[in-house]
Amino acid sequence: MKKMLLFSIFLLLLSSVLSACNSSNTTTASNEEGKVVIDFFHRWPNEPRKSFYDEKIKEYMEANPDVHINVNSVLNDSYKEKIKVLVSSNDLPDIFSSWSYSFAENLVSSEKIMPLNDVLSEDTEWSSSIIESQYEGFKFNEETYGVPFTVDGKAFFYNKAIFEENNIAVPKTYDEFIAALDSLKQAGFEQPLVEGLTDTWAISHYLGTIFKRVVDPAVLEKDYKAETGEFTDPGYIKGLEIFKQLTGYMGDVSTAMDHEAARNMFAAGEVPVLYMQFAEIKMVQEAGKVDFGFFDFPAVEDGKGDPTALTGAPEGWMVSKTAPKETIDFLKFLTSAETAAEFTKTDGQLNAVKGAVTSDNVNATSQEAYELVTNATSTAPWFDNAVNINIADVFMRGGQELATGQSTPEDIMKTVQQEAKKLNK
Amino acid sequence: MTARKIPLIPTLFILPSILFLGLFIYFPLVQNLYNSFFQFSVFSPTKEFVGFASFQQLLQDKVIVAAFINNVKYAVISVFFQVFFALVLATILEDKVFRRIAPALRVIYFMPVMISISVIALLFTFVYNPQMGLLNSFLELIGLENLAVPWLGNATTAIYAVIAMSQWQSIGFITMLFIVAIQKIPKDLYEAADIDGAGKIRKFFNITVPQVKETMFVNVLITVTGSILVFNEPFILTGGGPGFSSTTLSVLMYEQGFGKDNMGYASVIATLIFVLSAIFALIQIRVSGTGKDD
Repeated sequence: MKKMLLFSIFLLLLSSVLSACNSSNTTTASNEEGKVVIDFFHRWPNEPRKSFYDEKIKEYMEANPDVHINVNSVLNDSYKEKIKVLVSSNDLPDIFSSWSYSFAENLVSSEKIMPLNDVLSEDTEWSSSIIESQYEGFKFNEETYGVPFTVDGKAFFYNKAIFEENNIAVPKTYDEFIAALDSLKQAGFEQPLVEGLTDTWAISHYLGTIFKRVVDPAVLEKDYKAETGEFTDPGYIKGLEIFKQLTGYMGDVSTAMDHEAARNMFAAGEVPVLYMQFAEIKMVQEAGKVDFGFFDFPAVEDGKGDPTALTGAPEGWMVSKTAPKETIDFLKFLTSAETAAEFTKTDGQLNAVKGAVTSDNVNATSQEAYELVTNATSTAPWFDNAVNINIADVFMRGGQELATGQSTPEDIMKTVQQEAKKLNK
Repeated sequence: MTARKIPLIPTLFILPSILFLGLFIYFPLVQNLYNSFFQFSVFSPTKEFVGFASFQQLLQDKVIVAAFINNVKYAVISVFFQVFFALVLATILEDKVFRRIAPALRVIYFMPVMISISVIALLFTFVYNPQMGLLNSFLELIGLENLAVPWLGNATTAIYAVIAMSQWQSIGFITMLFIVAIQKIPKDLYEAADIDGAGKIRKFFNITVPQVKETMFVNVLITVTGSILVFNEPFILTGGGPGFSSTTLSVLMYEQGFGKDNMGYASVIATLIFVLSAIFALIQIRVSGTGKDD
């Protein structure tokens, strides 16, 4: 009898342990009184975007009382990891934000993303309101898997007052740029250029643009594909040498700080030049009082690449295959001209919806940037989005090693070529 | 009738722990080994069997060697500071001279142990900051500005800066373990030594050290296995950079798995880490001959 009792207690304990292990949320679609539930996942738990989207969701649910939207958000790097887990566990949200090119391609390869060609051609009024060229990063095998929303680009920003004081003109070529940096150094700036090299993506942005300038576009196209990449062109070595030369102007501290610190130094007027995204314009204006302008990464002499190609890739929205059909309507709402105009006004980041960036909601510098983005001859995706991450990582770590003098361009290219060969198959 | 009866009650008592160990330690361990023979990404629905290819890749990987050397540096420096220096510290704190302020000092040394490592690492990014960091400001203050370098941004100093932070954090814990051990040493040993006219240093080497041998062994084990597994400190402070100069095996494993999506190769590195720590633990158990006290 006593043993029976013990045994039953034990069984009870065991079952509770096992059921605890098994209680993963199998019933996510809570029935909000028969409403359609849309799971919405974005990567901005920080302000001002979080409130912006919370506000928009409320607005949408009031206009569509039969829809309930569950929202969830985590920050950038965690987002990248979380979305991977969600994809592999069949728990993909109905609509979520995504970067373009290789990040999107990875998601698409899971075969869980809804192809949008039909949706886009059904409602051309909506789909054509978005700048055509920005769809590029979401197209794979003729099929579009995402709708672009924010656009971005990268350029050198310079402190106008310092440039005037030292009689420096805005450089048109790379040699002029180096001359300008030299004279700034003579004028007493220990580091005329600055970057936070602990952020490896910042290095990839530099390298992506430099390669665009010095390497033949046809070679780049071949090398950036994992199946055909070789990276044997001498242009890459030249590109890395250019990067090494530029790090020479960044001073010792660059390898020990992040991009945000670099931006703050620029905003405080301590450093005259910074390679920065257009999305950061508003942040610099809020952090300091410097008067600044920008110029595109200058053309490199003897460079075989495109001298005016702009680096920058859009971000947008993706829809999961299993999403309820109301999700498309919500997607249209998120990318409508009104939402877009209000978004840029709140956040400062430019968007891809035609007519939604005007002097009403952005300042003159941002508007100038917007013109540059929308009129660029070609746009190059961020380097770490353009190539396989294994290749990008060699370049990014290599960039750090160049800055600290541990490695040479030749050594880095050798490692890159090995990695490329592994991916060929 | 003849079958040997398994005692029911003791079995019931150990069952939960066996269950948990099996579920959360042994099962993942075996699964990790199984994954080592495949190549897969979290996005792909299928795993590709590659046999020992990833292990071959491991042998050719230069970064693995660099990371392992960093782990070894970690272990050697940690053993010196956390075992040898902590023992000296514990002896001093237990000395009669410091009786009155020892409790306060113990609290001070133990305080860093109670702070989360993430918080400490963020704190130390400010200490090491090249522009406004405490360390460089202090060096400038005492006229050693030529020694002030960007500690975390310099390939030769980065790993040592990371290790230094670890020592600052862990020394209190090990010291505490030694203090407990020293307190358990019978007082008459010291009294006998006093009568024989032994000095403090003689007493330290001839009484304290042999008497805390067991604790010392445990502490060496804790620090060495800890050094092989170390992840938080380098990951938060430097992300393994610049280049791979402060990468440790665990950081490398994480980067391969979650950064570059080579889950199979990451499993191989995990297997390597497991084998290394198991080997070190076995060697130490053999060398110190624990359990055979007399």
